[in-house]
Amino acid sequence: MAVETRTGRTVKHHDNTYNVIGTTPIRHDGVEKVTGEALYGSDINLPGQFHGKVLRSPHAHARILSIDTSRAEALDGVHAVITGQDIPEPADKIISGGEGDGNLLKYKTENILARAKTHYHGHPVAAVAAISPHIAGQAVKLIDVTYEVLPAVLEVREAMAPDAPIIIEDLLTELDDQVISETPSNIAEKMVYETGDVDQGFEESDLIVDREFSFGVVHQGYIETHNATAHWLKDGNIHVWCSSQGAFSIRSELANILDHPITKIHVTPMEIGGGFGGKTTSYLEPLAALLSRKSGRPVKMNMDRDEVLKATGPTPGGYVRVKLGVTNAGIVKAGYAELAFDAGGFPGSVVGAGCKCVFAPYNMPNAKVVGYDVVVNKPKTHAYRAPGATHAEFASETVVDEICRELGLDPVEFRLQNSAKEGDWQLDEPPYARIGHIECVEAARDSDHWQTPLEQVPGKLRGRGIASGFWFNVGLTSSAIARLNSDGSVTLLEGSTDIGGTRTSVAMQFAETLGISVDDVFPIVADTDSVGQTDVTGGSRVTFATGIAAHDAANDMKQQIIAGLADLWEMSEDAITHRDGTFLTDGKSLTVREAALLLTDEEIFPVGRATVTPERVGGAFTTHIADVEVDGETGKVEILRYTAVQDAGVAIYPPYVEGQIQGGVVQGIGWALNEDYVYDDKGLLRNSSLLDYRMPTALDVPNIETIIVEVPNPGHPYGVRGVGEVPIVPPPAAVANAIHDATGLRLRDLPMSPARVQAALTSQNGDQT
Amino acid sequence: MRELTGGQTKVEVPGDTVREVVDALDVRFPGLHDRLIEDDRLRSGLAVFIDGANSRRRLRAKVEPESELYFIESLGGGLTPTLEFKKA
Amino acid sequence: MRAIQYAAPTTVDDAVALLAEHGENARILAGGTDLIVQVREDGRDTELFVDAKGIPELTDLTVSADGTTTLGAATPCYELYGNDNFCAAYPAIVDAARIIGSTGIQGRASVGGNLCNAGPAGDSIPALIVHSAICNVAGPNGRREIAVEDFCTAPGRNSLEAGEMLVSLTLPSPPPNSGTHYLRFIPRNEMDIAVVGAGAFLQLDGDSITAARIALGAVAPTPLFVQAAGEALIGQTAGEAAFAAAAEIARDTASPIDDMRGTVAHRKQLSYVLTQRALRGALAHAQGGTPSNGH
Repeated sequence: MAVETRTGRTVKHHDNTYNVIGTTPIRHDGVEKVTGEALYGSDINLPGQFHGKVLRSPHAHARILSIDTSRAEALDGVHAVITGQDIPEPADKIISGGEGDGNLLKYKTENILARAKTHYHGHPVAAVAAISPHIAGQAVKLIDVTYEVLPAVLEVREAMAPDAPIIIEDLLTELDDQVISETPSNIAEKMVYETGDVDQGFEESDLIVDREFSFGVVHQGYIETHNATAHWLKDGNIHVWCSSQGAFSIRSELANILDHPITKIHVTPMEIGGGFGGKTTSYLEPLAALLSRKSGRPVKMNMDRDEVLKATGPTPGGYVRVKLGVTNAGIVKAGYAELAFDAGGFPGSVVGAGCKCVFAPYNMPNAKVVGYDVVVNKPKTHAYRAPGATHAEFASETVVDEICRELGLDPVEFRLQNSAKEGDWQLDEPPYARIGHIECVEAARDSDHWQTPLEQVPGKLRGRGIASGFWFNVGLTSSAIARLNSDGSVTLLEGSTDIGGTRTSVAMQFAETLGISVDDVFPIVADTDSVGQTDVTGGSRVTFATGIAAHDAANDMKQQIIAGLADLWEMSEDAITHRDGTFLTDGKSLTVREAALLLTDEEIFPVGRATVTPERVGGAFTTHIADVEVDGETGKVEILRYTAVQDAGVAIYPPYVEGQIQGGVVQGIGWALNEDYVYDDKGLLRNSSLLDYRMPTALDVPNIETIIVEVPNPGHPYGVRGVGEVPIVPPPAAVANAIHDATGLRLRDLPMSPARVQAALTSQNGDQT
Repeated sequence: MRELTGGQTKVEVPGDTVREVVDALDVRFPGLHDRLIEDDRLRSGLAVFIDGANSRRRLRAKVEPESELYFIESLGGGLTPTLEFKKA
Repeated sequence: MRAIQYAAPTTVDDAVALLAEHGENARILAGGTDLIVQVREDGRDTELFVDAKGIPELTDLTVSADGTTTLGAATPCYELYGNDNFCAAYPAIVDAARIIGSTGIQGRASVGGNLCNAGPAGDSIPALIVHSAICNVAGPNGRREIAVEDFCTAPGRNSLEAGEMLVSLTLPSPPPNSGTHYLRFIPRNEMDIAVVGAGAFLQLDGDSITAARIALGAVAPTPLFVQAAGEALIGQTAGEAAFAAAAEIARDTASPIDDMRGTVAHRKQLSYVLTQRALRGALAHAQGGTPSNGH
């Protein structure tokens, strides 16, 4: 059975044909999800469980002078109270995979539960387990904390100033693993990436545009709030059920934070109501585990929206400066960029990734990019869909638009002329393999949207903008275990939390490889004991990397079936071939189902398996077109039409790809126009609700038109590229460029809220009179 | 690392494995070895690409005569710095 | 666990008696769309919900012989825009009822509750002000009336005394050749709270304005009746010049704050723009047309 849910179209740059790939079967989790039977973290209820609540800092920056939990402990129904002293003192060791020595386990641990200081409004200070959520909530209010309130530092420039209050008193600035500051600083890390001769490049340029852009903190806005249930058994085994993008990551974080043997930690990933990078790390899990140990019962914890917005991992605010030099003919000669991101209350922002992306769509012979990772009194930032790229490319794609205007160049032609392509430079990365940026720009140029002039209406300010975007795919490790059942069906265990329909897109790659129907593959997202190492659902990696694991597991199973048949038929394995799901030898032909029946009779039960760490991963490019209408009196921006063109390599399940594109664009539009953390002068977050943290609703965006470009990825057996993240990258720049087209205004601060647009319109009118 | 190589970003050196290449680099640019290697392992957060592939064998990886090597910062899943803890 | 009692009286007297007995910890429950959220968030030490929906007087919607309308305080929004006569007579209130929360919210939320909540940005309040609504209040000392523009006293505070409740609103019969309109500015297109709201009432004699009222939301601690702006219109020819002059008064009267929902400068500008748009809408109504509800 299949469904037809596509709204867009595909532009293919290959001749491959497939049986399963590219079709639209009914998703395996569809019925469970639409009937409400699917189990999410909040659906876990264990016999005798207690309920946990967190006491959070009412101050942005304060020293904890004392914590008195006695009144809370005395409340009837309270069974455990923990503070920072209940977490093992962390060793001063580096967390691998990090971007510098700043990422120490102790920071992670202190972010879970404050020790000596609170670093941001909402920072956990203590936690309680009680017989009901209400009593836990009451008990939290009975914990007496004495604070010495310290001055809050909120913005990167303020935090980077030499006389800024220091948030982490022993933090020194590092560059390439070398300490470069003599005294403590809020700058955790400086990074410099360089290629060619940037001074020479600017020397050769006829036009240099140098601009600075700023942005506030933005949250992923997943609808399901964080939750975790933990049961610390008497034998030291810890069972955890949680909403996470990676059960294995939660397991290893718990092992480190709790200083507990990893084999005694068992994490079951539940269905997930959105993550977008924000659920790749732990918040409640260690607290629930410690409260369980102390109370002797399972402990369940749920955040409310206020807690999620205040104290999980939004994406940084900060600034990006971009300086670009071109010749009069529009050839890029040199680029310089400076990025400063606020890491939040502890070091470790995504500024390094932003540095690597800022000029990625272009062939840039001479470039220098400097990044700063800066600690401020805001929640510890974390990954959000293409982390760092949206900030960076908002700046560079707006500067590109300005250059095109200045030189009278067509922005499409400019991008085609300067586009990065196979073999070209990539900043601090090996040269590009086959990529599809040019193909995206061409498909955008040829689209109905670009070819149809924007209708102008008297009295309305309308404009069109275009922008490209790049984001990495990552490989990391994925596993799959496939069991051939006696009826020829396959149970497929994988470890990747399914956020965007990956259960089905991974099963489809398995089915394609073994030559069976995807309806005969039953994918299961397994716990950490049941499947091999699988890293997070993040970095646009699941359909790519877990897909390779499924492909390899199918080939492993195929080989085992051949071996079984060869044994049965007393012939060499070489005499049996496999084509389109059929095993063939002289005079004999068996489908997988027939083979399964036969092998079961002989008590042969094939189990295909694979654990892969792909070495050639690739990246994703996209080009977007936005039409806007600006209300000249109120500053409100309406999106009239939006088209997103993206290279998906090969789309396994095209409507899922379109869904990812549309979702990313909507989040990007929210970021462009309204989403922003609003702090008061004391550093307290004022809009920690979905009423005042304004994400777009269905009435705020048009249908997002999509065009899938297929330039197969040479690093994947079916050509897959990860698609989930890059669609969030171009919207702020595309919208900003459209606002410029409509009004003549260059907006360089996100969000481009009605108040900002209206203020800019007012000063523009003032300039004219 | 540019300051150690006098601004050079492309260098040709001999070696049959990544480890030998690093040793050869260190002869030309003293100090480079310690920038790349700690406790006989590629430093945490670094990756080595050999002819476009992110080598899993790292220092042990074989290198062909015309191979191109890139030492770069590696990115984690979701590109988040605190993502992966490896249990010591 | 904190237990909350629930009572469903059927007369105003019974409800007033319950309020007297339980004091400040008893709360009148109409649609509950604000109250339940507030109680959940632990903002109030509520002991008792007094459900007003079982009291006929509070869900009343009748037009009396002299043309005045009595609107029960707990009557949900959807009943207002589902009533053709009400829509024809009180367009600004209907404009507000259609945009409070969402369609689902409007099935329960009441204009009376919106008023008692006394939010500076409450959408129905400027609309009630331009329609010259009178609040009918019952309490331990009997009944009294309060002009709607005097009802709210501070953010979240109203002029009800201890033990008093809002029973209904009296809406005067709309004068001939008159029209009203309410609109608000929100950064999104639904599920949002007014950055500024504006309501206008106009009565015409030919092209000449004989009466006018203007009210703004979210630009002061309480919804703001901009009496001077309305008075400035009287005797003027209905049109852009007069509207702009009134809008300037509205803008200058507005005393907004900077907060997470908007800035002073933007709210001043919006007061100016929305006053004109509200007046255009009211004029269209007065002339028998339908205004466009531009954002």
